[in-house]
Amino acid sequence: MKVSSVRDLEKLKAKGMATLCPDKIKIMVGMATCGQSMGAGAVFDAIAAGVKKNKINAVVKKTGCIGLCHEEPLVDVLLPGSPRLTYSRMNQEKVAALLEGLRNGAVIKGALGRMDEDEFLLGDTARPYKKGKVKKEILSVPAYKDLSFYKKQKKIALRNCGTIDPEDICEYIAKGGYFSLASILAKKSPEDVIAEVERSGLRGRGGAGFLTGRKWRICREAEGDEKYIICNADEGDPGAYMDRSLLEGDPHTVIEGMIIAGFAIGAQQGFMYVRAEYPLVLERLKKALKQAEGYGLLGKNIFNSGFSFTITISRGAGAFVCGEETALIKSIEGEWGEPRQRPPFPAQSGLWGKPTVINNVETFANVAPIMVRGASWFSSLGTKQSKGTKVFSLVGKVNRIGLVEVPMGTKLKQLIYDIGGGIPNGRALKAVQTGGPSGGCIPKELINLPVDYEVLAEAGSIMGSGGLIVMDDRTCMVDVAKYFVSFLADESCGKCTPCRVGIKRMKDLLEDITEGRGSREDLVLLENMADAIKESALCGLGKTAPNPVLSTLVYFKDEYLAHIKDKRCPAGVCKALITYTIDRKMCTGCGACVKVCPVSAIEGEKKQPHMIVAEKCIKCGACFEICPAEAVVK
Amino acid sequence: MESNGMISFKIDAIAVTVEQGTTILEAAQQAGISIPTLCHHEALTPYGGCRLCIVEVARGDNRQIVSACAYAAEEGIRVKTATDRIIRLRRFIVGLLLAEAPQAKVLQELAEELGIRAPARFKPRNELCIACGRCIRACREIVGVSAIDFAKRGYEKQAAAPYFERSEDCIGCGTCYAICPTGAITLRDIAEGERFTQPDGSVVDGPARIIDNWKVNFEMKRCKECGEAFAPAFQLEYIKKKAQLADDFFDVCVNCRP
Repeated sequence: MKVSSVRDLEKLKAKGMATLCPDKIKIMVGMATCGQSMGAGAVFDAIAAGVKKNKINAVVKKTGCIGLCHEEPLVDVLLPGSPRLTYSRMNQEKVAALLEGLRNGAVIKGALGRMDEDEFLLGDTARPYKKGKVKKEILSVPAYKDLSFYKKQKKIALRNCGTIDPEDICEYIAKGGYFSLASILAKKSPEDVIAEVERSGLRGRGGAGFLTGRKWRICREAEGDEKYIICNADEGDPGAYMDRSLLEGDPHTVIEGMIIAGFAIGAQQGFMYVRAEYPLVLERLKKALKQAEGYGLLGKNIFNSGFSFTITISRGAGAFVCGEETALIKSIEGEWGEPRQRPPFPAQSGLWGKPTVINNVETFANVAPIMVRGASWFSSLGTKQSKGTKVFSLVGKVNRIGLVEVPMGTKLKQLIYDIGGGIPNGRALKAVQTGGPSGGCIPKELINLPVDYEVLAEAGSIMGSGGLIVMDDRTCMVDVAKYFVSFLADESCGKCTPCRVGIKRMKDLLEDITEGRGSREDLVLLENMADAIKESALCGLGKTAPNPVLSTLVYFKDEYLAHIKDKRCPAGVCKALITYTIDRKMCTGCGACVKVCPVSAIEGEKKQPHMIVAEKCIKCGACFEICPAEAVVK
Repeated sequence: MESNGMISFKIDAIAVTVEQGTTILEAAQQAGISIPTLCHHEALTPYGGCRLCIVEVARGDNRQIVSACAYAAEEGIRVKTATDRIIRLRRFIVGLLLAEAPQAKVLQELAEELGIRAPARFKPRNELCIACGRCIRACREIVGVSAIDFAKRGYEKQAAAPYFERSEDCIGCGTCYAICPTGAITLRDIAEGERFTQPDGSVVDGPARIIDNWKVNFEMKRCKECGEAFAPAFQLEYIKKKAQLADDFFDVCVNCRP
């Protein structure tokens, strides 16, 4: 069936609503990659099998990431007329209890959270789940809006993730999807669209933060009839998975955004450049594109408007540098993924020399909401210069690891403590790293800073794509600098001298420092090199590679000096600089350490204090971990 | 831009007017201003990789450091080719390259011009290939056989034949050898009666041309008149085919032609 009108779309909406809010029991299993890596696949299969076997009148559906990654595998249960309940850390035992409860019509205990209504962001409404009286046991489950993890969040890009089945376009439509496109093609001009996006203040979510509307305008005004839209789904920052979750949980929000962008700039073809390491994304995207094409929402003469647009998937091949827009373009063209100098900018001369708009996944995800709810609504969120919301992957030394979306201007402190639940194991916060390998480390003294493009840049970091790595007092900041520099040394394309040779030499220096061969002159050299690479590298990879080094030199100089002057690693991380010894007063001679030592470096008689032979010790830390008397000292 | 397709801008203190599409490097050369280069060659498309030719460009309020060889001049820009900042960065770049290939004459000369020595802190790598890409661009753009390309990424990036095996497309013309700035390519012509043992143990009898880097060797064609072995036979076959020349076109060498 080809969708040619809003009326057709309404039919699909009804279809989607029927599965989104069915009259029977609905069980939703979080089946994004993080869920699957924790065993959600087996959970899904067990529930599906159990429902069938026990003839329970229920439908079992896959959904995307709801963000509570630390509680995966997650299962949501929707009993007709009842609020939606989320169950966490599902295993076979809990699945059995769940099925038991469903058979008996009892409320299953242990729910983590309760959702009273299903928010329809685009329609600015909410559909209550409950009808009539609700059992007390259900009401005693904390409401989502009261959970610390969710309280300060505002989901726009992630609005559908965790609710809809990402493999069913009708559920996306039921949530208001593609109505925006229909309205635009029927009533708006490309100029209207660009003006609205400009007014919204949306800035590129890939990290650079260039005004999206301005980029579209430049491209629209560029000469030529052949133009392109590219979606950059090469997400490469270690620890960042915002784009992966978006594409696994709600691919159509990105697709719709691309089609609207195509209309705005006058392009007929779009490309989604997806990194090869995201197989589930590729699978879900292929399905989503096929469904959209099947309904005529992609292809010729969309909504009978005369506007045609197609999207082709282009796969990456294991190069971080191909996230850089000009290298990405070369890769699509079938050439070496090497960046080139700008100007000319892709908006004027991009794919095959034609004007090209290239935007990040999350940027596109915001387009339909902006067009439906309006620029004023979007720009009412956030700060003066940074409008809207931002998706972050909150990872590292934090209690509640997950994917979150907050209004710009939210303080780092709120992200780490209120949402993230603070530092685990009673340890102290040391720093938070933002922006991946292009970013910097923000020390704990500055965690009152709001999340804002300019504020983070001023602090020596960048907003970046959204990776937020929390670090505690057991993180060595010199090791962190070495980690990021080593990553970039691996990923450098090798075209320009400052990056190809400079970063490798910085890595050499950091290795020397962390292995006890550093000198004070090395710090001066390291800083001078970092400055020079920043100024002379060809592309963003090289230009921002020095940031982790420079920011740690500014805020954690004392750690560098300890490694150099005292040949000591204060955080106890750099293997060459730590020694493990046994405190003879604490040691009970139980021998647990002897059993775990992989190189038999520990000597001692039973019930007598033991001793570590320093020359044999490989600093693996196994004895430190296992000692019940905490007698091993680092 | 002026209506006749000409662009006016300033390089250092000099006002220049050039055709649209002229790079800053070309404009500077026209104006008699010298900018050092390494990966650039006038017969090849610009690469902009070595970053030696960097200059400061001011376009309105926007300031950038760019490779002069790869920047098409724009109306009204102000270019500075030798500020303290640029000199410092050029010294940095040459210093890095010197630590890679201290034996390369071109780098030694650049170092002397810039007044620097090899950075003592870095152990020399002694790898002459500095990934400038001239050989690759020449093979692709001038010779047209694309026998070689870059292999590996980052620090290990090198010009190589596919899979580091014998290049199947190389015609032995030696353009790569001629255009390499550091002498990273080893090409030897051996005479009649001479023998050369390649690293893999195989023996090549002269007259032959051997290019170590691409693991190729070619029998040389002898002139019917003077007997001189003057070019690889394979290369001449390639040229004959490409330019549609008579079969005996290269039987006599250029010196013996009437």
